[in-house]
Amino acid sequence: MARFLTPRILGRALPVVACGVLFLVPMLTDDRYLFKVLTFVGLNVIVIAGLALLFGFAGQISLGHAAFVGIGAYTCGYLTAARGVPWIVAVIAGTVLAGVGGFLLAIPSLRLKGHYLAMATLGFNEIMSVLFVELRPVTGGNDGLRGIPFASIGAWKIDTPAGNYLLVWGVAVVVLLLTANIIRTRPGRAMRALHGSELGALASGVDTGRLKTEVFALSAGIAGLAGALYASSVGFISPSTFSLEFSVLLIAMVVIGGAGSLAGPVAACALLTLLPYADALIPGLSKELIALIQDWEADISGFVMILVLLFAPGGLAALGRRLGGTSARGAGGVQ
Amino acid sequence: MNSAELLQFVASGLQNGAVYALVALGFTLVYASTGIINFAQGEFFMLGGMLAVAGVRAGLPLPFAALASVVLTASIGLLFERVALRPRRDSGPTVLIIITIGGSMVMKSLARHAFGPNELSLPPFSPGVPIVFAGASIDRQVLWIWGLTIVAVVALTFLYSKTKLGRAMRACSLSHDAARLMGIDTARVVMISFGLAAALGALGGVAVAPLTQTAFDVGSRAGLKGFAAAILGGLGNPIAAVVGGLVLGLLESLSVAFISSTYKDAISLVVLLAVLFLRPQGLLGKSRREKV
Repeated sequence: MARFLTPRILGRALPVVACGVLFLVPMLTDDRYLFKVLTFVGLNVIVIAGLALLFGFAGQISLGHAAFVGIGAYTCGYLTAARGVPWIVAVIAGTVLAGVGGFLLAIPSLRLKGHYLAMATLGFNEIMSVLFVELRPVTGGNDGLRGIPFASIGAWKIDTPAGNYLLVWGVAVVVLLLTANIIRTRPGRAMRALHGSELGALASGVDTGRLKTEVFALSAGIAGLAGALYASSVGFISPSTFSLEFSVLLIAMVVIGGAGSLAGPVAACALLTLLPYADALIPGLSKELIALIQDWEADISGFVMILVLLFAPGGLAALGRRLGGTSARGAGGVQ
Repeated sequence: MNSAELLQFVASGLQNGAVYALVALGFTLVYASTGIINFAQGEFFMLGGMLAVAGVRAGLPLPFAALASVVLTASIGLLFERVALRPRRDSGPTVLIIITIGGSMVMKSLARHAFGPNELSLPPFSPGVPIVFAGASIDRQVLWIWGLTIVAVVALTFLYSKTKLGRAMRACSLSHDAARLMGIDTARVVMISFGLAAALGALGGVAVAPLTQTAFDVGSRAGLKGFAAAILGGLGNPIAAVVGGLVLGLLESLSVAFISSTYKDAISLVVLLAVLFLRPQGLLGKSRREKV
């Protein structure tokens, strides 16, 4: 019996079990707060899947992903709330617009490496932050956009917390399957080659310029999709949500999870997102403790990020591999 | 617009420009000796202002509080390099960038815990009415900013060109390996560069705090502007950093004069992106092709 529980089988079974548990939650409870928190986790997981692809696998840093989430959120929010556009069309528009934004940013950024790319994407995030505030007719300025309707397809409205939770996690699972598939196939191998050595990848026939633009656009589009879902889940968006701090937190999640892995960053994302809302899962926690954690959230993620890079560069993924007993295959953390 | 108004805008541009130049010098010093961009540079600017305010509140006389804040920030810079960056010295740039980003998160957050979330103000260095010059009124603190910037630049130039440490720093910027073979303690040079960069950032933060107030979250904007200035001039060259800072300050203030104040911050960012995309070596830099 124990013979069948090899790490390989565990690795295959674990995601399936996790999915099963996730979709069973609505049958076990109707705690609105829990659904809200888990919906946030799902939204962040979608963004992280795209960022893990770009940063963890292709090795291209982006400190501007919060801005892509914002583009998706404002597009969807504005189109549904102010223009009465059907929800599904607005979500697609948000996703596409963010993807196009990523594509346009990627073209000139292709020449940039390391710190230049980091600064260019950071600058892009700051520019978008200014625009989210200043383009008042569309974004509502600092007050944000209110009254964004819930998701609906035709006459079918998804307006319960549980329904919304299922919608977001349904999308998250599809995005994770998609990214996992990309990683396993030819583009994934090309990305790892690019991460290892751009010259080496070029010499092996990888069109690195095209690959970088495509991954960047895809990753930005996925972030936009999460943003669009965020807008219709919460019903209210404001510029401070899509600030540089969020971009940095997203990078922290990928680093803590481990570059060159999908499961690691997803786990880190769940942990870091749940941290300030730990009382949703653990009922006994006092309000003071939660307030304390929320107050120190940035310190905690900053410290953990530095500690991971100093002492465990492989992140959670390497830790998981060690526990599972498999040898590290190719993935070597942030390089 | 008459000439007095224009002069007013130029003065305010040069005021911001001088501060950007100080932050940019910090970026350039660290880049020259290590080849990395220190994303925590803006936090040193923030710490300079905040620690000086804390010193004054604790009853220290203003000049002493300002000096103490610069020295303390420099020590934080040294410590940060020693503890967080040196152990991963041989990693690629991405690791080091992320460590400095993490450091910046932690510094900013700790500053919020220590000094609170509100804006704080520092008393002016020499109180008094603004000086009127050709119809433009210039705050006395602005003269302090210019004076301190000039002193810092002269001192840095002297250090770079005349002292043994400066020669060691220049050697490190050419090649770490060669510098080490010549008997230079490169680890020490790198650490001192971080200390100096932190001191320059803090100096900018202290000097501008009486005019603009300061808060725990002013670091990222200041860092971004400083980096834009350093990139605009050409990374790694101290003179270029100063030129870049002044040009950026002027561009910003003239855009307020002629376009609109709404997009003031966006303009320096657009300048940053334009330089990165079109001329990454900066205005004064020489084009360097990457060889295979």
